[in-house]
Amino acid sequence: MIELESKYGVPTVAVHVHVFARLVDSTARTNGMPRARQAFVPAPMFNQPPAVVRRYVEGDDAVHGGPFMRRVFDLLTRPLPDEDLRGARWDRSTPRLLEPDTEENLQQLFRESHWTDYLPIVLPTEERVEAMLAGTSRSADEVVGKHRPTIGMELWESTVEKVAVNAVMAGAAPEHFPVILAACASGDTGRQSSMSSMGSMVVVNGPIRNEIGMNSGIGAMGPYNYANSAIGRAFGLASQNLQGGSVPGVSYGGSQGCNLSYNCCTFAENEERSPFRPFHVDRGHRPDESTVTVFYVWGSVWSEHLRTYWPEKLKAMMSGLEPLEGALFVLDPIVAREFCDQGLDSREKIAQWVFENVRIPARRYWDHIMLNMVHELVEGGVEPWASLAKAEPDELIPLFQTFGVNVVVAGGETNGHFSIFQGAQMPPAFRSDPTLPLVAPVDPWR
Amino acid sequence: MSVATKTQPKLTVLNPEGYPPKVDARGMAPGLDTLQGKTVFLIDVGFENSDQFVEQLHGWLEEHEPGIRTEVVRWRDQHNPDPELCERIAAEGDAAIIGVGT
Repeated sequence: MIELESKYGVPTVAVHVHVFARLVDSTARTNGMPRARQAFVPAPMFNQPPAVVRRYVEGDDAVHGGPFMRRVFDLLTRPLPDEDLRGARWDRSTPRLLEPDTEENLQQLFRESHWTDYLPIVLPTEERVEAMLAGTSRSADEVVGKHRPTIGMELWESTVEKVAVNAVMAGAAPEHFPVILAACASGDTGRQSSMSSMGSMVVVNGPIRNEIGMNSGIGAMGPYNYANSAIGRAFGLASQNLQGGSVPGVSYGGSQGCNLSYNCCTFAENEERSPFRPFHVDRGHRPDESTVTVFYVWGSVWSEHLRTYWPEKLKAMMSGLEPLEGALFVLDPIVAREFCDQGLDSREKIAQWVFENVRIPARRYWDHIMLNMVHELVEGGVEPWASLAKAEPDELIPLFQTFGVNVVVAGGETNGHFSIFQGAQMPPAFRSDPTLPLVAPVDPWR
Repeated sequence: MSVATKTQPKLTVLNPEGYPPKVDARGMAPGLDTLQGKTVFLIDVGFENSDQFVEQLHGWLEEHEPGIRTEVVRWRDQHNPDPELCERIAAEGDAAIIGVGT
């Protein structure tokens, strides 16, 4: 819309649902067009029948009041002042140091500036940041990467020092810093802004897991380990502050939010007890390399052991998941071995089993939301979507392709439990740099 | 910021925010004198139910504003620019309504 106006000279009204009024305003300002033509209809728009949508058109603008269509006409026909025809630019630079203040006031400032997770933070004094920087050989002013809450939003940039500031805030130790840097350099975010409330899951592989005392055993995904907790919290805080915020209604749109975001569900894979090769080795890394992998996850379903009717149970557990968002198995080593006992002795074989056995009718697969999300792939003849779209309504088709199924092993073998998360790695186009590897190396950040 | 006490020392701390990109000014297109006799492109941006919104918008305009020509089009990919469509709208249209941003 901004381009239609500024590059092609076409007066254009962008219509949004009203809950995004502040986001739209912020986006217009950061695009140099602060009074872009905007009109608003009520939410929700998804899944509404034609009669409701018609009432949106015939009703009032949901933000500004007055008839919606009158506002659209006014926006397209009213004369504009010179300042709107020129656009606006301004200096957005921020000082390296904040105004000195007391501990109590600074805690309040950080909280009210939306720089925290609303819990107390360790204030990033120069001495503490300097100590954190000792955890890496990289220089403080080196660029770490670019960051944004989601595709289509502006890209912010970070340096090693900026990541160190956030690592201090999270209470991390210098030995955690290489993992935090690797996560921040990965092109992923721990504060994705999606309306769907996706959270993050950070999985660490390789020698650094044990060097810094990460937990891959009992309680690996819970609040029972300093490194797990601090690295995950640091990645979350750094994500929100380095990308320009994660503020509800402005730079975060998750309708319900996600509790996993507090520490980005950070843990180490239990390589020692897993019957599979380590996750990062299956992705082309050497066992002696350390890596960090960011998954985007929603909810999970849980069960214990592969019991007598496990194929039926597994199919039932998975068949209600959304097709495009992937499935992420987190297996206790006991359950990983039970899969091996069933002949599924690798990640690839588990993914293949899911592909062959977890199937749903094409009519349910191709509901309106799914069609909407991949219509350009279907129309472009991209496989497998193009072939799947040709299936008859009652034909059973694979819910997940093999590339949509991931498996990691974590847990302390107190019993044979496993969870299947709706989730996957983010497709490259949605990451801040689509050229970066999906499994990020840690060692260059030591 | 009203809770400072005289006994608390003042600390100097670093700003945790990243570096934002420069804002380039982008000018808006001038408004039209009237929409009557003009061609307005109605753009389905591709988000869920946007097609339904554009269909209802189209119906309303045909019913209430028959003097405005309308053309319904679809943005190729909701997350990326569509220069071909933009060029067509610039060549054949006078204004546009795009929705629904969600």
